[in-house]
Amino acid sequence: MIQQSSLLVLFIKYVARYYPRILRLTFQHLTISAIALALTLVVCVPLGIYITRKEKLAPYVIGLANVFQTIPSLALLGFLILIFGIGNDNAICALFMYAMLPVLQNTYTGIRSVPSHLVQAAKGMGMTDFQILLKVQLPIARPVLLAGVRVATVWIIGTATLASAIGGGGLGKLIFSGLASIRYEIILAGAIPATIIALLADQCLKFLQDYYSPRNRAKRMAKKAEKLGVDLSE
Amino acid sequence: MTQIVSPENESDLDKGMVIFQDVRKVYDDSIVAVENLNLIINKGELVSLIGPSGCGKTTTLKIVNRLEECTSGKILIGGMDIMSLDPVRLRRGIGYVVQEIALMPHMSVAENIGIVPRLHNWPRKKIMKRVDELLEMSGLEPAKYRYRLPDQLSGGQKQRIGVLRALAAEPEVILMDEPFGALDPISREVLQNELLSIQQKLHKTIIFVTHDMDEALKISDRVVIMRSGKIEQMGSPAEIQENPATEFVRNFIGEDRLSQISPEDSVSVLVEDPWGKAYPDQSASDVLSMMEDEDMESIQVVEKRANRWAGMAYLRDVKRISRTGGSVRDAARRDRKLYLEEATMRDAAEMLADKAYPIPVIDEQGEFLGVITEAGIARLTIGRLKRRVTGGASQ
Ligand SMILES: Nc1ncnc2c1ncn2[C@@H]1O[C@H](COP(=O)(O)OP(=O)(O)OP(=O)(O)O)[C@@H](O)[C@H]1O
Ligand SMILES: [Mg+2]
Repeated sequence: MIQQSSLLVLFIKYVARYYPRILRLTFQHLTISAIALALTLVVCVPLGIYITRKEKLAPYVIGLANVFQTIPSLALLGFLILIFGIGNDNAICALFMYAMLPVLQNTYTGIRSVPSHLVQAAKGMGMTDFQILLKVQLPIARPVLLAGVRVATVWIIGTATLASAIGGGGLGKLIFSGLASIRYEIILAGAIPATIIALLADQCLKFLQDYYSPRNRAKRMAKKAEKLGVDLSE
Repeated sequence: MTQIVSPENESDLDKGMVIFQDVRKVYDDSIVAVENLNLIINKGELVSLIGPSGCGKTTTLKIVNRLEECTSGKILIGGMDIMSLDPVRLRRGIGYVVQEIALMPHMSVAENIGIVPRLHNWPRKKIMKRVDELLEMSGLEPAKYRYRLPDQLSGGQKQRIGVLRALAAEPEVILMDEPFGALDPISREVLQNELLSIQQKLHKTIIFVTHDMDEALKISDRVVIMRSGKIEQMGSPAEIQENPATEFVRNFIGEDRLSQISPEDSVSVLVEDPWGKAYPDQSASDVLSMMEDEDMESIQVVEKRANRWAGMAYLRDVKRISRTGGSVRDAARRDRKLYLEEATMRDAAEMLADKAYPIPVIDEQGEFLGVITEAGIARLTIGRLKRRVTGGASQ
C-alpha cells in the first residue's frame, strides 16, 4: 500500500517536473508510428490489391509477411542494424515489416470476398477496372480492410517502444531508462502515454469504420435530402 | 428454322436492332455454349430466350455486351459490329439485368439506379430527377425508398430496382437475365405486367432470358427456344404453341404449360434419358458389374452408331450370359417397347402396371429416344397438382 501510494506520488512528481520531455517523446513516438503506418498502408494496400489479380503470387507474398511477423521484434530490430545502422530509420523499417501482415492479408481477403457476380454486374454496366476497384471492391472490402489497419496500428504503436533499444526515440526511452534504474515512475511515464495513444488511435479508426458504414451513410444522405428537399421545392 | 442474315439488311438498320450472325462461343476450348446462332431482333421487339439450364442463355446475353467474346461469328447492334466498339462504351449503352440481381450492397437504392447515368457524367440534379421518375413509375414512393439499402428491400423490390437500374440511362437495348427469377408467382405476375406496360411506353429492344414458358409466352413478341447452345425453334408465342417444331419443343411447352393430360395423349412428355446405357459389343460381365454398382434391374442396349435401339437387358439374363463370356447383345430382348408415334399414356401406364421396369421408347426408324419410368409419371402428376395449387392462389 505504502509503496503504491508513494509510487503514485513519485509518478506525479516526475510528470510534473519532466512533462516537456514526456510530451516531446510522445510526439516523437507518434511521428515514428505514423510514418511506419503510412509506409505500411502505401505499400501493403496496393500490394494486397495486386495479389488479388495475380493469384499465384498471393501465397508467397503473404507467406513472407507472415515470416516477418513471426520473427521476434527485438531480433528483427537487431538484425536491421546491419542494414540501416542505428536510429529511427531502422525502427520504422522494422515496424513496417512487422505490421505488413494484417494489412496485406485483410486487403487481400476483403477484396476476394466481394461476390464475383457484383464485379460482373459492375463490368456489365460499363465500369472500367479502376472504377470497379474504387466504387465496388474497395467500399465492400472496407470493413475487413479497416479491421486489418486497426490491428496494424495498435501493434505499431506498442512495438515502437522498442525503437529506443536501437538508438531511436519515442516513449521507449523512458521505459528503458526506468528499467535500467529500476524507477517505476519513469516506466509508467513511458508506458501510460503509449497505451493511451494506442487506444485512442484504435477508437478513432473504429469511429471511422462506423461513420462510413453503408447504413449510417444512407441515413445521413436521407437527412441531407430532407433539408435540400425544402430548398428544391421553393 | 434459323434465319440466314444477308448483309443487305444492314443498310436499313435502326439503332436498336440486334443481329447475331453465325455466332459460336466455346469456353475453355471444349465447352460449346452457343453454336450456329443466327437471329435478328428488331428495334422495339421483346424476344425471350428460353431453354433448360445450361443451354447457353446467359452466355448469349454476355456476348452481346462483351462480358464474353464470341469465338466466331459477328454481332451487330444498330449496324455496328460490336467488336469495333470500345467494350466499356458499348456496355454503358446497353441495359443489363443480371441473373443474381446484384444490387451493390453498399449503395442506396438511388445510387444503385444512378450507376450508369453517373458513368455517363450526367449532372447530379438530372440523375436525382431520373431516379425519382423511375421509382414512381414502378410504384415505389421515392421519398421512402431512395435512401434505403438493398438489404432493406423485399425480394420483389430488389428485382424492380434491378430492372430500373438497367433502364436508367435510357438505353435502346436491354438484356435481362431471368429478372423475375426468384419470385413467388404473384409478385412475378405483377412485375411481368409492369414490364409490359413499361415496354408499351418505351419500345425498347429487349432480350429476355427465362426458364418459365408461361412467362415467355405472356410477355414476348417472339420466343426463341434454345437447346444445347442452338436455336431449336423461334416464333411468336401463338406459332410456338400451335406448331411446336420438334419433340423437344413439344416437351418443353407440355411440361411448362398446364395442358390437360388425357390417357390418349402422346407419351412424349414422359420420355427421359435413362440412367445408364450399354453398347451391344460390351462384354456381359462388364455390364453386369456396372449394373450391380448402380443397383440397376435392367439396362437399355443401344448401338453407338445412329443411336439405334438393340434391346433391353434384364439383370438375370446379363448374369447368365456373363457366365458364358458373351456380349450383352445376347442378353437383349426386344419384345417390350413403345413407339413414340403411336404410344399413349394409357399404354405406358398399363405396361408399367404389368412390370415396373423402365419402358424403352423408340421411333419408327428404330432410334432410341429414352425411357418412361414410374417415377417420371409420378413427377408429372405431382407437377400438375402443384400447379393447380399455385395457379389457384394467384387468382
Ligand atoms: N465462364 C465459363 N467457363 C466455362 N464454361 C462456362 C462458363 N460459363 C458458362 N459455361 C458453360 O456454358 C454452358 C452454358 O452456360 P449458360 O450460363 O449460358 O447457361 P444458361 O442457359 O444461362 O443456364 P441457366 O438457366 O442455368 O442460367 C454451360 O454448360 C456452362 O457450364
Ligand atoms: Mg443463366
